[in-house]
This record gives sequence, structure tokens and C-alpha cells, in this order.
Amino acid sequence: MSLTDELSTSPVDGLNISCGNEEVQVVEAPEKIKLRSWLNKNLRIEMSDGRILVGAFLCTDRDSNIILSSCAEFLNSSSEEARILGLVMIPGRHIVSIHVDNSYETM
Amino acid sequence: MSMNEHIKVDDDGDLSDDEKKKLLEDGVFTTTATPKLTYNWVDITEEFTSLAKTLNLGELLLDKHFGLYEAMSAVEMMDPKMDAGMMCNRSDKPTLTFDKGVELGVLRLEGLDLLEQIGVMDQVFACFVSWIEGNSLAQTVFANLYLHKPFSIEERSLKAFCITAYKMVEIIKHFIDQAAVFEEEDYQPMQYGYRLVPDVSEQRTVGMLREVEEDLFRRLRQRPPQREADCLGALLARIKFIRLLYSVLGVLGRQDTEPEARKELRPESELHKALNMCSEQLTIMRSTIPLAIPSDSPKLGFEPLANQRLLPPTFPRYAKIKSRDEAFTYYDDLIQRLRVVCKIYSHASFHTALDFFMEFSRQKPCLLSRSVLQVLYIPQPSSLLTNTRVVEVLREAAKSFICPPSLASKTLLASNTQAKEFLDMFLLHCGRPFVQLIQLCGHNRARQRERLAHLLEDFSNLQDEAEKVDAYLHNLTSKSEGRRSHLACFGTWILYHTLRIMIMYLLSGFELQLYSVHEYHYIYWYLYEFLYGWLLSSLSRADSLLLEQESYLEKENSRGKGKKNKVKRKKGCRPYARDITLCQVYQNLCGGYYKAAIAFQRTGKINIPKSEFDCEKVRYEHRFLPFSSLHTPPPMQYTEFCDMTKTMETQICVQSEKQSPDHTRLFMAACKNFHQARTLLEIMASSDQEINNLLLVAKTNFVVLKLLAGGHKQDSNTPPIFDFSQHCHFPIIKLN
Repeated sequence: MSLTDELSTSPVDGLNISCGNEEVQVVEAPEKIKLRSWLNKNLRIEMSDGRILVGAFLCTDRDSNIILSSCAEFLNSSSEEARILGLVMIPGRHIVSIHVDNSYETM
Repeated sequence: MSMNEHIKVDDDGDLSDDEKKKLLEDGVFTTTATPKLTYNWVDITEEFTSLAKTLNLGELLLDKHFGLYEAMSAVEMMDPKMDAGMMCNRSDKPTLTFDKGVELGVLRLEGLDLLEQIGVMDQVFACFVSWIEGNSLAQTVFANLYLHKPFSIEERSLKAFCITAYKMVEIIKHFIDQAAVFEEEDYQPMQYGYRLVPDVSEQRTVGMLREVEEDLFRRLRQRPPQREADCLGALLARIKFIRLLYSVLGVLGRQDTEPEARKELRPESELHKALNMCSEQLTIMRSTIPLAIPSDSPKLGFEPLANQRLLPPTFPRYAKIKSRDEAFTYYDDLIQRLRVVCKIYSHASFHTALDFFMEFSRQKPCLLSRSVLQVLYIPQPSSLLTNTRVVEVLREAAKSFICPPSLASKTLLASNTQAKEFLDMFLLHCGRPFVQLIQLCGHNRARQRERLAHLLEDFSNLQDEAEKVDAYLHNLTSKSEGRRSHLACFGTWILYHTLRIMIMYLLSGFELQLYSVHEYHYIYWYLYEFLYGWLLSSLSRADSLLLEQESYLEKENSRGKGKKNKVKRKKGCRPYARDITLCQVYQNLCGGYYKAAIAFQRTGKINIPKSEFDCEKVRYEHRFLPFSSLHTPPPMQYTEFCDMTKTMETQICVQSEKQSPDHTRLFMAACKNFHQARTLLEIMASSDQEINNLLLVAKTNFVVLKLLAGGHKQDSNTPPIFDFSQHCHFPIIKLN
């Protein structure tokens, strides 16, 4: 109970402290800014078994483990029939390719 | 792709007749289409991975609205246990669909031989049972491809059967949903977008099946070869069975009046004839199981993964489908249970109905029969709480229980509208908790316990109100002379029910195996010293008040009012004699266990947790926590338990002040309790199963404790075994 409370009340800020002290405003590295620009955009990830996952990018780490929200699964690139998975974590070692949807930028 | 074939369900109301027809021809499988999205994908694989590498070890780059807590609920892809879509979780061959099956000739729309039809039907029967016992429809009944498009089937018998299967799902779902006495472990209510052919009426369904039956019967009369005749008979039995069961459920589901008024529930009705015929068909069906094609044949049209993509990602992959034999056993039992359920018509009074519900629940019936019973007794759940029927039923219940003067005569309240309102309001408030008590009996045994605990809070409030009503009415009646006192009438009535709930709560812990052996002593102590004692006194009070009312009426009658209110009961026979004796039996049994358990502990025969890891007080308080919300009866504290036990021990064990206490004397005291219980049971002399079980328990424990008191196995430290196989609350004590 107390653990879950703690996690839900102090989510992100607490975690960010580990990379930069909150009091001293650290300017983020350009790499991180670039990565951050993809947050909440739709990603299309192909996995090592050929399945395609499409969902909003929420989180990643050094090993490119990626968390997508509202994720849909397609059995192969030509398949149109989706299965809704919801929140998923894709281990970096199973990622074959990553595409970002920039349809908003080109509009 | 296949999306186009599906028809949207949501705009059903606006369909023209043509569209409806097409809908039926296409089958019943539907899903809602999603709008087409266009993306402009740009490859960032290289860039992403190289950028990600710049993050520190353990550092997360995340959205600020996203935390670890949310991340915990993510499904991990490529983990065989979590990822249902993974290759290893998919079968090698692609999942068969109805159309593909027809194309490949696995499924046939017509010209199925009898053995195949019997096989398909038996499989569907087995799926039904698997569904009602808690699996998802998508993995059981709807995993049969023949049921995906029943209207495309040309074979008349199979088509009629498949359409009836839908109607069966519909009617069973209706019962279960309406009764709402299921939990997630009992039943899955999801329908997965399958439409349940509402366009086919009940009469039409039965008509179709009858036509098929006549047809089969005609073929049988043409004296076909023996083997074919057997198969025709087997098929006929199955069609007949599903028709009869469907009709029975249809009749039970019609709720025009209260159960007492429903003639169809009585024995010798059409309904009971149909139930008997169901049993006959089942005998034939069971003996002809081997005729059908085996249960793993693809021709059955059973595709376990047919609806896999409709299920949540982490759903169990396969539901265990019952064997045909198990399924038919279930139907046999179901028919038997439905016969029992019908008996509710004879329980017009609330108290006998409540006992009936409790007794039925004790046999651990299946969800469907529990639901049917609920629906029979409580027809319209929505309007029930304001229903005047409940108030009237409870008014009758209170009257027959203790006969409060305010309910005994009509004249008393007629002149006083305020008193009448006060009383009606109280009975109205009783409605919800009492209905909940009935509903609670419909839930599975494990879930009843937590519900009992919650219900105690409601009854605590009722107790307060009952006492106020009693006091108010007492003031009113004491002014008019010659009346009986109104004190503690409704109070006793509510107390009686509160005590029964408390007892049920404590006893359920034995049945659910929640208590450790070293906890038995205070559980049985509470039952022995208080609950059964209080129950006894509330029953005795009701008993004497009823007798008082009788003599009062007699006096009135003798004054020349005629024999209008003649009481039928024989003189000198106490109305609650049986209940009181049974209560004494239970009390003595609990006393026996309490003393025996203490004696076992004192002589080191029961393992007790090491004191540094244990606190008996905490344990005690946890066990009796739900009682703490009550004022009447007052909750008993741990210190009281310790004090009373100590007093009891000194009284029994210490002969003289100089000697150390002799705990074997406790065994003798326990033995006396069991002896007392046994004597009372023998006086009752009933063929009742409960009485006989209790008698066996009391007799055996009497012998065992007598041995112990005589010093048998005195030096052995082997713990005794409490064997609950004869009775789920009162064990037989065994020494090994």
C-alpha cells in the first residue's frame, strides 16, 4: 500500500534526480533532446519474430528497451487486422527496426 | 480483409429487413470496425539506438506523465508467459475459420453423417459446461466454428441444434446476469461481440427442434439396420434433451408471480415431467458417447484458437474443456438440483425460505442452479428494494417468529398513524439487509464469508432501530390495559438473525480451512459461551412470547368471540422445541471442542507457534474483527477469553490447592459435553442427514475423549487429527 502510494505520488521528478540535480538546472544533452522529441509520437516497431507493434512512445533506456502505450499488434507488415495489447514493453534485443510517424510534421 | 465481412452491431436498430436478412445469412459473428489511419513512417532505427546508448546505465528517458508504477503493468513482449501472440504460443497451422473450414471440406454444411453430428453436439454440450464453470465463452461454446454461422448450415438437425445453442447461451446468461451472484472465479460475463440471435423466438426454436425430432422418429420407424437405428436414437436423445432443457429454463425464467403461487413448480407439473424426461435422455446420451467421432477430430469444428484475437493479451491460452462424460454428469446433477430448486414454492414464509437457501448453499451447487433459485425467489431485483412485497414478507416473518402485539392485532395500530408509520419504516429498512442475506446464500461458499462480515454492520443498525421501535410501541401499549408487553420483540427478532450471521461467519472459517488447530479453542469458546447461548435465550424468549400470545388469544376467545382465531398448534407443544434442542446440541459440541482443545494444548499435544513469532491476542482480534461493529450482542475481548478459560481450568482441574492442576480432567469435561450432545440428538431421533452426521461425530468424539481421560496415549506427543470429512464444521477427533 505505502509503496504504491509512493510510486504514484512522486513519479517522474524523483526519477529525474538520478540524472541531474533538480536544484541546478542542467542543460540536457542534444542526444537526449532528440530522443525526447519522439516521446508520445507513434512508433512502429518490428520485432525479431516479424510482428509489427504500433503505439505511442513513452519510455526507453540505454538498451533501447521501449515502452509503448495503446499498442496494436499486427502479425506481419501486410496484415491489417490488429490486436489491441495496451501497454507493452519491448526488450531492445528483440527490436529489428523503429519507425516514427511524422505525418503531423509534413502536414 | 475479414473486417469487411463483419457487421457492426451498434447501429442495429436502423437496419432494414433486407439488411437484417443478410445479417442472419452472414452469421452472427460481428465486431466493430476501426477507422482507417494513415501514417507517414520514417526509419529511425540507427539513430534511435545510437542516441539511446548515450543514456547512463539505469537511466530512463520518459514522459513526465509516466512513472514506474504505470510501467509495472506493461506486458513484456517476447516473454513466453506474457506474450500470447508469440510464435511459440501459436500453433503451427493457421487458425481455421468457418469459411476456410467449409472450403477445405473439414466443415460440411450438409450431408454430415449421424456420428459426426452426435460428435459436434456432444462437444458443444461439453463446452457449455466448461463455460458455466468459469471459462470464457470465446474459448468454449464460441470456439466451435459451426456456431459462427449457424444459419449457413443446411443440415436441418445440426442447424436447429446450433441455433438452440445460441438461445441456450442467451437464457443461461440471462439467469446468471439477473441473479448476479457470481464472482470472477465463477463466471465470465463477456460475450465478445457475438449476437445471440434475438430474431428467433422461443416458439420458433422449439418448433424447429420438434420438426427435427419428428423427422428422426419417422426414419426410426422405417426399421433401419441396427447400427443406424442406434445412431438415430442417440441423435434423437440429444435433440430432445436440448429442447427439454431449453423449455425448462424458459418456464423457470418466466416471472409473473411469487414462487408460492406458481403451479408449474409443484411436483406432477409439466416442468417436472420435462425434468424426468431430461434424465431419461441423459441416460441414452451417456450410453451412446462412444458412437460419436472422437473429441479430437477436426470434423467437430472445434477450433480452440478461433477467438484468440478477441481475448486480452495475457489471457490463458486454452480453456480446459470438460470430457463428454464429465459434462453429462454435470447435466445429471443440474437436473437434480433444478428439481430441488423448484421446492422453493413450498416455503412461503421468510424463515423457512432462508433455511432452504442456506441448506441448498451447503451442498455447494453450481452457479446456474444458484442463479435460478435466486431469480425464482427474487423476481425483479431492480424494483425489489421499494417493493411492498418484501415489507409484507418481513412483516409476516416477524409476526410468525415472535408475534409482537403490534402485529398480532389489527386494532392496535389502526388508531395511531404515527406508530404505524414508524413500524412500516422499520420494516422497510429491514428490506435491504434481509434481501442481501438471501442473495448472499447464492454466492459461492468462499465469498459468503466476507459478505457476512459486511452484513453485520447493517444488522447492527437494524438492532438499534428495532430497540427504538420496541420502546416506542411499549410506551404506547402499556397505557392500554391487558395488553402484552412489547419490550424486546423486534429486538429479539433482529438479534436472532444477527447471531445466526455471526455463527455462520465463524463456522465458515472451518469449512474454508482458515483456522489453524491452535486457534480452535477460542473460536469454539466464542460459539460455546456466547453465540449459541444467546441464540438459545433469544429462541426461548420468542418461544415464551408466542405461548403468551396463544393463551391471550384463548382468553379472548373464551370471552365469546367465537372460534375465529383458533390456534391450530397442540397445547403444551413449544413452537421452537426442535430449534432449541438443536441449538443445545451445537452448544455442547462447541463446548466439547473448546475443552478438548485446551486440554490438548496444556498436555503439549498441539503445536503452538513459538512465542517470539506469535501473539495470540492479535490473532484473536483478527478472527473476531467483524463483531467489533456490533453493540448488541457486545463483542467479547481477548482478556475475557483468558479470564474465563483460567476460571474454567481452576474449577475443573484443581482438586486441592496443593496439587498441580490435572488437565486430563478437562478431557472428561469435554467428554461430558459430547455425551450431552449425543443424548439430545438421540431424543430428536430424526432421519435428517445433518442430525445423523452430528450424532456420528458426537458418539465418536465421546469415545475418543473417554479414552484420553482414562490416560490413553498419555505420553505421546503426536498431535490429534481433526477430521472434517463427516461434518464441515464439527470434526471427528482422531488419535494416531
